[in-house]
Amino acid sequence: MALRISQIAKLIIGVWIASVIVSMFLVLPQYEGLGNAGRIMIMHVPTAWVSVLAFAVSALYSGLYLRRGRSSDDDKALAAAESGFLFTLLATITGMIFSQVVWGVYWNWDPRQTSIFVLLLIYAALFALRAAIDDPDRRRQLSAVYSLFAFVTVPFLFFIAPRITDSTLHPNCVFIQGSTCEGIVLQEGNIGLLGDRKVQLLAIDRQGDTITAEVNVSEPGLRDEALLQPTFNLAAGERDIAPEFPGLRFRLVLEEVDLDAGRVRLNIEAPGTGLLDNQRTLITFIASNIGFTALFIWMFQIRATLLGAQWALERREGALP
Amino acid sequence: MDHEISTAKFAGIRTPFRQIMTAMQAVLIKDVRSELRTRYAINALILFAAGAVVAVSLGIGFFGLRRDADSLRIQAVLLWIALLFAALNGLSRSFVHEEETRTLASLRLAAPPLAVYLGKFWFNLALLLVLDTVTTLLFVMFVRVQVANIPLFVSLLAAGSLCLATATTILAAVIAKASFKNTLFAVLAFPLLAPTLIVAIEGTATALGGGSWSEGFSALRTLLAYAVATFVASLFLFRFVWEA
Repeated sequence: MALRISQIAKLIIGVWIASVIVSMFLVLPQYEGLGNAGRIMIMHVPTAWVSVLAFAVSALYSGLYLRRGRSSDDDKALAAAESGFLFTLLATITGMIFSQVVWGVYWNWDPRQTSIFVLLLIYAALFALRAAIDDPDRRRQLSAVYSLFAFVTVPFLFFIAPRITDSTLHPNCVFIQGSTCEGIVLQEGNIGLLGDRKVQLLAIDRQGDTITAEVNVSEPGLRDEALLQPTFNLAAGERDIAPEFPGLRFRLVLEEVDLDAGRVRLNIEAPGTGLLDNQRTLITFIASNIGFTALFIWMFQIRATLLGAQWALERREGALP
Repeated sequence: MDHEISTAKFAGIRTPFRQIMTAMQAVLIKDVRSELRTRYAINALILFAAGAVVAVSLGIGFFGLRRDADSLRIQAVLLWIALLFAALNGLSRSFVHEEETRTLASLRLAAPPLAVYLGKFWFNLALLLVLDTVTTLLFVMFVRVQVANIPLFVSLLAAGSLCLATATTILAAVIAKASFKNTLFAVLAFPLLAPTLIVAIEGTATALGGGSWSEGFSALRTLLAYAVATFVASLFLFRFVWEA
């Protein structure tokens, strides 16, 4: 019976994820500016979510093992860690591909990249620890302790990592619904930070209804700078020309103008703004999240069952007491 | 009295608080004594730190004289690399030694787990403070690092060492029962210490450059929070390591 359920689940998940992949390439509309790179979000976000989920599940079962001492709890903790490691790798790789296409670098020590890298290290350390202890009971107990201990330190990482760089290029406000890029309000001559670029408002010019902001944009480390001129149309009350940051697909937008006070609001706009506003994209995105979560649960169950069977077999053969 | 009972309960052990403190003291004194006999850990720590400092100094000369933001940060990174790897070399000694000389069983009989943990923790912290002093002095002499805000620098070093001690003491107990002990110790400790390293390096760079207390305060606060969290987690989890 269990075997049949597992086989049916495998079929359903397989078809589900196949259709997510198909719609990712065929049904989703092309994002403006991003080209085909934006499609990777359909894979990237769910794998990242599952990697966090798996880490929490692993810690949960580690705690249960320490409390109840059942070896099946440890099997589950290990199964969650193993499939979690796989998903963490996938999230890292898909993120790196996106990073290379959109920002021109594979690795930027962006806060997200830092935290996921350390998460990979923790998983690797857990496997190394398990490999280094021969006695099964001792292995279970000590790896459960390490898993829980690591779980305590991870929140610090998420809190601290954003301090490495002052801001992130990870396009939260673009891709995650409900969050917004606030932008910055600058007065003439003021300096501010957008993404990891230093911006200085040099002047505000008015020609008829068109307001032009002269903005000096500096690369990180002040290696290079460029003059951008985003404009705002007073009659229409909306932004007009939004030039691209040099070498990036991100744009500089003039969002609001207060001529009396000499203030403007500048914002950064990723190429895929409003991505999830599109109905087809949103549905595919949700379907992908569901599919990957189900895939994780399936892998987790199968692996945990296999580990349990393996122990039973070894015990029967007399290898274990 | 209430407080004492609750502390004992909190660790999952019915031993009264005062007894644990006495046992802790005994473990600490025993460790200090056996360390003074062999001087293994202290030699490993200090020689490693001295080696690292001399290597840095040979490579980049009087780099400490440069005062721009990048150089200050590099100086802070070099100092913490020397401290971290020296610590990862020597700190596992406390438990590994017990395992190698097969004295774990008698220690298990003699003292409650909490007392063993606390004794080892204070011993490691003391070792780290010695290491800090020596490494910093060597850095100041060989690399000619100038510390502009000395009180902030010292408190950051102390807080960073506290984090190292709280995070690694329990790991030392974990790896004592595994094979490839020393390599495994560094592998297990590094990902857990990564957040504190980031903060400590940043704070130290600020202190080297003469940043004010208010600038260094957030780093200090984060380090202390990390130390408290890992210390409490260790108190909870050590029992299971000790039983294993």
